Amino acid sequence: MTGVLAIDPLLFGELKWMPLVIVALKVLVIFVVGLVGTMFMVWFERKVIAGMQNRIGPNKAGPFGILQTLADGVKLFFKEDLLPDRADRFVFRLAPFLAFVPAFLVWAVLPLGGDYRDGNRGLVEWFGHATRVQLADPPVGILLVLALSSIAVYGIMLAGWSSGSKYPLLGAVRATAQMVSYEAALGLSLAAVLLTSGSLSTVGIVGTQDSLSNWNVVATGVVPFVIFVIAATAELNRPPFDLVEAEQELVGGFNTEYSSLRFALFFLAEFMNTITMSGVIVTLFLGGPQPLAIGDWTADIPLVGNGLEGTIWFLLKLLLFLYIYVWFRATLPRLRYDQLMDLGWKVLIPISLGWFLLLAALRLGRDEDWNVWLVAGVSVAGLLVAAVVMFGAMKVSGRNRQQGAVY
Amino acid sequence: MQLVVFVIASLMVLVGAVGVVLRRHPVHAALSLVLTLFGVAVHFVAQEAHFLAAVQVIVYAGAIVVLFLFVIMLLGVDSADDLRIERLPIQRPLAAVMGVGIVGLLIAAVVATRGSEPLQAGAGINVAGVGIDDAVAGHDANITQLAGNLFADYVFAFELTSVLLIVAVAGTVVLTRREKPPSEEDAP
Amino acid sequence: MIGLVAQVGDWPTPVVDWHALAPELVLIAGINLVLATDLLLEEGRKWATATLTGFVLLGAFVPVVTLAVIGGDVRALFDGRYVIDDFALILKALFLLTGYVVVLMSQTELEEGGYYQGEFYVLLLCSVLGMVMMTSSRDLVSVFIALELLSIPAYMLAAWRKRDRKSNEAGVKFYLLGVFASAVLLYGMSLLYGATGSTRFDEIAASLASGDLIGLQIVGITFVIAGFAFKVSAVPFHTWAPDTYEGAPTPVTAFLSVASKAAGFVALVLVIFTAFPTADGVYGPLVWVLAALTMTVGNVIALRQTNIVRMLAYSSVSQGGFILMPLAFVNSGDAAEPALKAVVVYLLVYGFTNLGAFAVVIAVARKTRSGAITSFGGLISYAPGLTVLMTLFLASLAGIPPLGGWIAKFNAFKAVLDAGSGSGYALAVVGAVNTAIAAAYYLRVMREMWMNDPPDGDRAPIVTPAPVATALGITAAGTVVLGIVPGLVLRFADLQDLTGALGG
Repeated sequence: MTGVLAIDPLLFGELKWMPLVIVALKVLVIFVVGLVGTMFMVWFERKVIAGMQNRIGPNKAGPFGILQTLADGVKLFFKEDLLPDRADRFVFRLAPFLAFVPAFLVWAVLPLGGDYRDGNRGLVEWFGHATRVQLADPPVGILLVLALSSIAVYGIMLAGWSSGSKYPLLGAVRATAQMVSYEAALGLSLAAVLLTSGSLSTVGIVGTQDSLSNWNVVATGVVPFVIFVIAATAELNRPPFDLVEAEQELVGGFNTEYSSLRFALFFLAEFMNTITMSGVIVTLFLGGPQPLAIGDWTADIPLVGNGLEGTIWFLLKLLLFLYIYVWFRATLPRLRYDQLMDLGWKVLIPISLGWFLLLAALRLGRDEDWNVWLVAGVSVAGLLVAAVVMFGAMKVSGRNRQQGAVY
Repeated sequence: MQLVVFVIASLMVLVGAVGVVLRRHPVHAALSLVLTLFGVAVHFVAQEAHFLAAVQVIVYAGAIVVLFLFVIMLLGVDSADDLRIERLPIQRPLAAVMGVGIVGLLIAAVVATRGSEPLQAGAGINVAGVGIDDAVAGHDANITQLAGNLFADYVFAFELTSVLLIVAVAGTVVLTRREKPPSEEDAP
Repeated sequence: MIGLVAQVGDWPTPVVDWHALAPELVLIAGINLVLATDLLLEEGRKWATATLTGFVLLGAFVPVVTLAVIGGDVRALFDGRYVIDDFALILKALFLLTGYVVVLMSQTELEEGGYYQGEFYVLLLCSVLGMVMMTSSRDLVSVFIALELLSIPAYMLAAWRKRDRKSNEAGVKFYLLGVFASAVLLYGMSLLYGATGSTRFDEIAASLASGDLIGLQIVGITFVIAGFAFKVSAVPFHTWAPDTYEGAPTPVTAFLSVASKAAGFVALVLVIFTAFPTADGVYGPLVWVLAALTMTVGNVIALRQTNIVRMLAYSSVSQGGFILMPLAFVNSGDAAEPALKAVVVYLLVYGFTNLGAFAVVIAVARKTRSGAITSFGGLISYAPGLTVLMTLFLASLAGIPPLGGWIAKFNAFKAVLDAGSGSGYALAVVGAVNTAIAAAYYLRVMREMWMNDPPDGDRAPIVTPAPVATALGITAAGTVVLGIVPGLVLRFADLQDLTGALGG
């Protein structure tokens, strides 16, 4: 079993008390910070949106209304817990946890800080032990994130189905179709990152992004980043992709029948997922805890030790993304369902696949010492041919349909 | 430690497998299947095959069973078909006998194998001189080893599975496309 | 160890012999070409995909010929996981030719029936690709992929007449039982891999020969043989065959009963000759029983059929028994060499003959719109050419000299008798009795054609479309030529090549 965890020096060698305590502490900190962070996120979202809409937003509970979420939580906690008559009892109870747990687990593999300077691969000293600011670094870290995000579908799908009523079911069917569709684009743009980083471990991915030009957002040529952000928004069911709970059409969507604590779990999971996904994007594309560095110059936060500085950088970048997500919500109108599917299948997947192939061709050309421009030209030409065939096929099938062929 | 993990994971697998067969409701059966798949993933982790474990969860639990559930939901198969009607009454006892027979056969085979010499570990899966020990020592070694298997040893079979995917796509399109209204009666 | 992202040493880039892989590569390119062309064609011009598919299959034939002429020696790729030898080449040729004949037969059928065309040919090409791959596979993984690649498209082809319930039934039955067989096979393979430590046939053979067989190996071998027995529709795993053959479109039935079955036999030959040759204590009795049962049951049921396609289906089941016959005696006496020759010759002859019979059925059914055997009544009076050809094919299936079927049966019996054991003689007796029974139902069709009157008195001549006529020409030529000069193909069934290629 040692091979699993061997990579964190803390856990290497014989099992002692101190490392165990440190790991337990990490678990606790991640859990608490996660919960508090979610509460903060809810307040942050309401406040920022209020600002964008020229309103004040929550301002009664606590300074700047910061305790508003806590108050809402307490209120929810005391509400009646309803179990619909036609519900499938076991699954109805299980679903909120299936939605909630994966959102938390992703934090276990994200590097939340650490010192990545001078070839120091993210290690810090804690109580005399070298360790990482990260619960675990499995060799397949990023795949674990994908796996957990695919498990999160279960929560929504089962919640909608087990409620035994039609609006939640419709919401759940929409959610599943949407999440499964966009996971393909998500995975393909992720593949571009993996190709550039050459590692599946989150530490490995962060490790290669040691200056701005090596940040994957630049190194993979921006396109995968844009697609990843769009697909991630769709995975989160956040506006403009929130068809799952489109109030005008579906009442509350998959969680219509939920109340009290179970509803609170869905609510938490949703905001938790937003933070988690932002964390994943920061890790994958923006260097995670790496400081901003251009060429030989590195931005250094004064008065803060290198060990803690990583965490600050991470939080700053995270906040940027949280703001962007709120901004999306305040700005963009919701997509229609067919537009959503068209965007996913006919635009995002072909582009991300094509871009990945282009990057792979360039990589091969570099390894084999071929002429870069020739390789790029040939691959772009190939992709163009593929695009022409695709559009041609779409046109022909459209014409066939008009002439009465049934598809 | 190894034993504890093994027992727990095996229990997950077996309980899930039995659940798939015995649960009357298709959704519950599908959820039992998820349990089995997770148990297998745990087994993979215990065998240091992290990549397989992750892919197991992503592909099987994350995609395939989701599609199962999706279909069950869309078709509204809310109650299991009544399985008590039997067209061929002999089938059920026959199936039971066959099942017990196969289980007995496998157990006998495993028991008979116990005494024999263990195999050389991984005789067939070595990548160009990399032993299991070396492979496990490195962080990403498991992935590298898998890449060697897929892209060097079994590269042709691996590439041809892509044709299999084309077959799946083309076949699905054909099977789900709505038929043209009948133009002419069929030839025999 | 700390913070180490280990780079395990470079694995060697596999050496690819492009010439050796050319037939497969042409097919893959062809699949993509047909698929893309189909997308860009307007509804009225879909027939072009058939022509294109024909050219792709002929194009893939070219490298097979050049490999046979120039190659000479055995080419082993990927550490002997993929081998091109004479055995592989002659069967690749058979499969490509079968595919071509099936394309010829389906062209009119699809157009007149208004079925999807582009997808049909894409799937057909994929299936042929799987078969072509099967002939060269020498490890469990490749064999399994090849088997799936050839079966999965076939499941869909069987259900191609979507408006017809029988065709749907054909597809579903074939699919369910086929998938079940794949599961059994895969389970057997995983047990074998676990109990021998390798997926390569030569290493499995070495491991099995190195000591007494252990329990898991025996179960593994049994499951693998049983899995392939499904694919070759050997009794008692034959139940899908008649319903599927009857319901599927007739060209697809021809394809299934010839190519798909032959591919199953290729797989059986490969595992028995190269992976388990010394384990004859396990597969010997198993194959013996399968062979005897398959011949007898197939024949007895075929006697009672009134539908020509069902009759041919059961006849093809029983023909499978004759092909299985020599495989039971691979490791006893001097039977190995004649057994291999017998199987290869039988597969070729059976392929041509059965395809031909189905081509006649298609041509006749275009007019009579019926599948009953009685609809062949008085065929001689209005379609003498088709009658003569049908007689030729049926006679060959019955094993009447000097046609191909006779040579095939002769070789099979010779191999069994060469084993020189009591069980060999016993199986030969069973085979001889069955040959006599089989002659009965083939003769019944002949009598119907030559002696009876047309059931509806309609004596308008049958117009055979040009593609079907071409198919008839190819198959008839094959049936006759193989009967007269079987030596033509015998040189390709060289045991030394098949088993020696991996050793060195």
